[in-house]
Amino acid sequence: MCMKYLAWTILFLLAISCQKDIEIKPDTAYEEQLFIEGILYPGKVPRIYVSRALPFFQPEVAPQEVFARGAVVILTNRGVALTLQADSVFDPFRCRWIPFYQGGAVAQQGETYDLNISYRGKSYAASTTINQAKVNISSVEYTEEFFDVYGGHDGVVIQLQDKAGEENYYRFQMNRMIDNDRLHAHTLGDVRSDCTNGNMFPITDLGRTVFSDENIDGQLLIMAIEVSFEYKEGDSTWIFMQSLDKRTAQFYKSVDSQLESIFNPFVEPVFIDSQIDGAIGVFGSAVLSDSVLFIYPQDNP
Amino acid sequence: MKTSSISIVFLLSGLLSYESVAQKKYTLSGTMKDSQTGEALIGATVYITSMRKGTTTNNYGFYSLTLPMQDSIAVVFSYLGYQPQIKKIYFNNNLELDIELVLNEDVLDEVVIEAQRSDENVQRAQMGVIDIPVTRISELPVILGETDILKVVQLLPGVQSGNEGTTGFFVRGGNTDQNLVQLDEATVYNPNHLFGLFSTFNSRALNNVTLIKGGFPAQYGGRLSSILDVTMKEGNNREVRGSGGIGLITSHLSLEGPLRKEKASFIVSGRRTYIDLLARPFTAKGNRSNYHFYDINAKLNWQAGANDKLYLSYFTGRDNAEYKETVGIFYKILFGNSTATLRWNHLFGQKLFLNTSVIYNQYDQNIETVQNNSFSQVFSGINNISAKTEFQYLPNLHHSIRFGAHYTNHEFLSKGKTEAQSSGNQSLNIGSIPSKYFDELAFYVNDEINISENVSTSLGIRAPAFISNKVEYFRIEPRATLKVSVTPTSSIKGSYTLMNQFLHLVPSSTASVPTNVWVPSSLRTKPQLSEQFALGYFNNFDQNKYEASIEFYYKTMDNQVLFPAGNQLVENFDVDTALVYGKGWSKGVEFFLRKNTGRLTGWISYTLSKTDQQFADLNFGQKFPFQYDRRHSVSLVGTYSLNKRWTLSSVFVYSSGNAFTLPVGRINVANGGSLFEGNYFIYEGKNNARLPSYHRLDFSATYKKRRKIFGKEYDSEWIFSFYNLYSRSNPYFVYLYVDHNENKPKAKQVSLLPIIPSVSYNFKF
Repeated sequence: MCMKYLAWTILFLLAISCQKDIEIKPDTAYEEQLFIEGILYPGKVPRIYVSRALPFFQPEVAPQEVFARGAVVILTNRGVALTLQADSVFDPFRCRWIPFYQGGAVAQQGETYDLNISYRGKSYAASTTINQAKVNISSVEYTEEFFDVYGGHDGVVIQLQDKAGEENYYRFQMNRMIDNDRLHAHTLGDVRSDCTNGNMFPITDLGRTVFSDENIDGQLLIMAIEVSFEYKEGDSTWIFMQSLDKRTAQFYKSVDSQLESIFNPFVEPVFIDSQIDGAIGVFGSAVLSDSVLFIYPQDNP
Repeated sequence: MKTSSISIVFLLSGLLSYESVAQKKYTLSGTMKDSQTGEALIGATVYITSMRKGTTTNNYGFYSLTLPMQDSIAVVFSYLGYQPQIKKIYFNNNLELDIELVLNEDVLDEVVIEAQRSDENVQRAQMGVIDIPVTRISELPVILGETDILKVVQLLPGVQSGNEGTTGFFVRGGNTDQNLVQLDEATVYNPNHLFGLFSTFNSRALNNVTLIKGGFPAQYGGRLSSILDVTMKEGNNREVRGSGGIGLITSHLSLEGPLRKEKASFIVSGRRTYIDLLARPFTAKGNRSNYHFYDINAKLNWQAGANDKLYLSYFTGRDNAEYKETVGIFYKILFGNSTATLRWNHLFGQKLFLNTSVIYNQYDQNIETVQNNSFSQVFSGINNISAKTEFQYLPNLHHSIRFGAHYTNHEFLSKGKTEAQSSGNQSLNIGSIPSKYFDELAFYVNDEINISENVSTSLGIRAPAFISNKVEYFRIEPRATLKVSVTPTSSIKGSYTLMNQFLHLVPSSTASVPTNVWVPSSLRTKPQLSEQFALGYFNNFDQNKYEASIEFYYKTMDNQVLFPAGNQLVENFDVDTALVYGKGWSKGVEFFLRKNTGRLTGWISYTLSKTDQQFADLNFGQKFPFQYDRRHSVSLVGTYSLNKRWTLSSVFVYSSGNAFTLPVGRINVANGGSLFEGNYFIYEGKNNARLPSYHRLDFSATYKKRRKIFGKEYDSEWIFSFYNLYSRSNPYFVYLYVDHNENKPKAKQVSLLPIIPSVSYNFKF
């Protein structure tokens, strides 16, 4: 009996590992960096998200708490400089305001824009030229299941003809109306409250994968894409394919790679490939294809 | 004229005769063995006191000394733990003298690790070498009653263990794959049983263990950082003996004896855990847990003639570990080594010794695991057939020359896969993994030269080659060490070595389970290369009662391999295509102080070191710390003989924390509703943070008594031990999670081994 008890104790100790929270103090205090996310869309008023990065172990806060209030955000085109104004939109699904800087004339294809931001004594500069060609979507089909590095998903399969002779990068976009029944299939952050009152609101679902035409230049691209939100049979959506500039593509590719490494403990950590000196982020552009109406043929699995 | 010519002839003849008489040398050679078992004594000392010169036995107990003719000389034959013998011999002819030393049981147990001659550490030209007489290891505290070679090696300066739960050891900033571990000349690719709790070496079957961490002589190669040369016992060729032991987790049994008295002998030794059998009734329903390992060592040897001896060694060891919760984590770890060595020793006269070996080696490692809904599997398979031949030529007291050749034909299989978990069978199709074949070849020559009474050197050159159907690499490796005696009890030594390594173990920096994979060199993956400089001061005092040394080293490593950021192994692609390449630098200073005699023996070792790496494709091309860079490492080892029955031992180890990559900031990307919307990490650099430091105290008490059973006497011992006496939660790894109550990220440390008491009973007849 004693031996059995002793053996059980030792086995128990061996079979379980001990876990405890620990405090890790960095050698030096984290000097908050600025995070800038600005994608210009031809035909749309420029909108730049500017926020402060948080020290890693600080509690989660709402976007307005890290908004870089008081930043001077200037967009220059053809020598004309315009200071963007702080504005925001309300996210009814998370009951919070999403602030940004916005303003000026709508962005134009073929134009070059310089971004200058001054915040707390530091300056940041970036530039982009919108010269990607608009792509044409050949077809959109529904798929009940496909597999990628994140596992098995349902979604849509997009076919488009790549333009030969240039480096092209594509990202999926779906515009649709959803209510709180059709929330994220995979929530990345907690939904702490819901201000939708059951009503439908417009959302833009951006794909997490950036596709490039490397080694398949000029060919028909077939892309299976996981959609973010749940759906019911008959839900109408408008699908676009974005043509991204190289910097934007690199930035969101690194974001996607890091996401994999966060989910998958066997993937080496990924550093985000910032495109703006002195800050984290990207200033680039995306040219939308013509939209394609897509109606879900069934409820999501 | 004629008379003058004749006179000149006579004069010359006389001079030549006089010259011949004055230069006449003879050779004293033979073997040194244990008088009870007939086991060869490796590294035993043969010393001529009047000439203050000597030599040591080789791995087969053979020695040879060529000296000027003397009327008589006194020769001291000695070996740690044995009664020395002094022979007075008339040295006017070649002489073969085989010596059998008697174990000295009257002397209180002495320190485990010691050079064969009490001042060997000062006098020999080689630096960075430590010999471990295995029979003494049992007195040190061990985990779960098991004596362990690797645990002892990890207490030496310049050698570190990984985290608890990791396999392998790290020498002077090198990764675990940079250590060549040999058992009777066969390579052992994974010298640990799971989680590094036990090594694959059953110490009851071993004769000698030598660790070389710098100043490598030319007969060793193929790895950058260290050589751990393990020699099996030959087996008692006088009478049948056995030993065994029963512990809480493992048991072992050894049997040895003559096949033909003093001509042929055998030894068989095996052990197994039975933790799987004990755990079964206690494992929760729905959970599945299975862990066991076993290893078997066997050896036959036959004295075929006066100058010929044959050996056949066999080793096999396997680990099988599986753990599955009903939901959540799963791992299945299977790996095993098997080796077989056939060796032939031949003596060409008294000065030339030949050893030829043919070796077969098989290793496989299959690790499958699921964590965080992610599946990963890596498989490595290595099959080798090798042939080695080495001549040891001892022309006189000033030279000890080794030259030879090694050839190995490798078959390599490696594959990996990482993806999101799914319900179907995700395992690799191991049968379809293509084999890669390549050859390794090396020629070498090394000479240990006694230049004068105070100066000696070891000079060598090794020429290794890697040959495959796609690429060939040919290299030259110079090796040099120099010793200058400052006083009779102190010396300064320096060394330079250049090493190449054609195999690579690619480490994973993040996973808690060791998902490392072996790959060979290729067109893309160049051979690893290191240059090491070392300088040391060695001093013994109080008549060799205390040994002290301080060694500095600086090492560069080229063509190091890592996985790139964001890497996910894909089944259809070669592991080779997923690697990035860089450099490493390691520097350090090692202090060592040891007390060799008396009731209390032991040592203190301290290493201060720094190891960095730099890869163009990682960390923005900036230098970063090596994952196992530990600034400070301390070992305190003590053994106290209370009386003839009781021996107390204690070990304290301290190491600074390992490096790991920790984010410093967070940003929120894409506030619009998307699968990639959320918090992302900002990193300031790779391996920018440190785990908490590691320290632990072990203690054991051994009670020995001679007993009787069925009228037959046998030796018994009870071992009571505590591993991690104050149950420190040493870090195994750290992972990040979000605390939803406080709504913030937190770091959680996983520890593996709390205090572990153990009782085991060993017997020997």
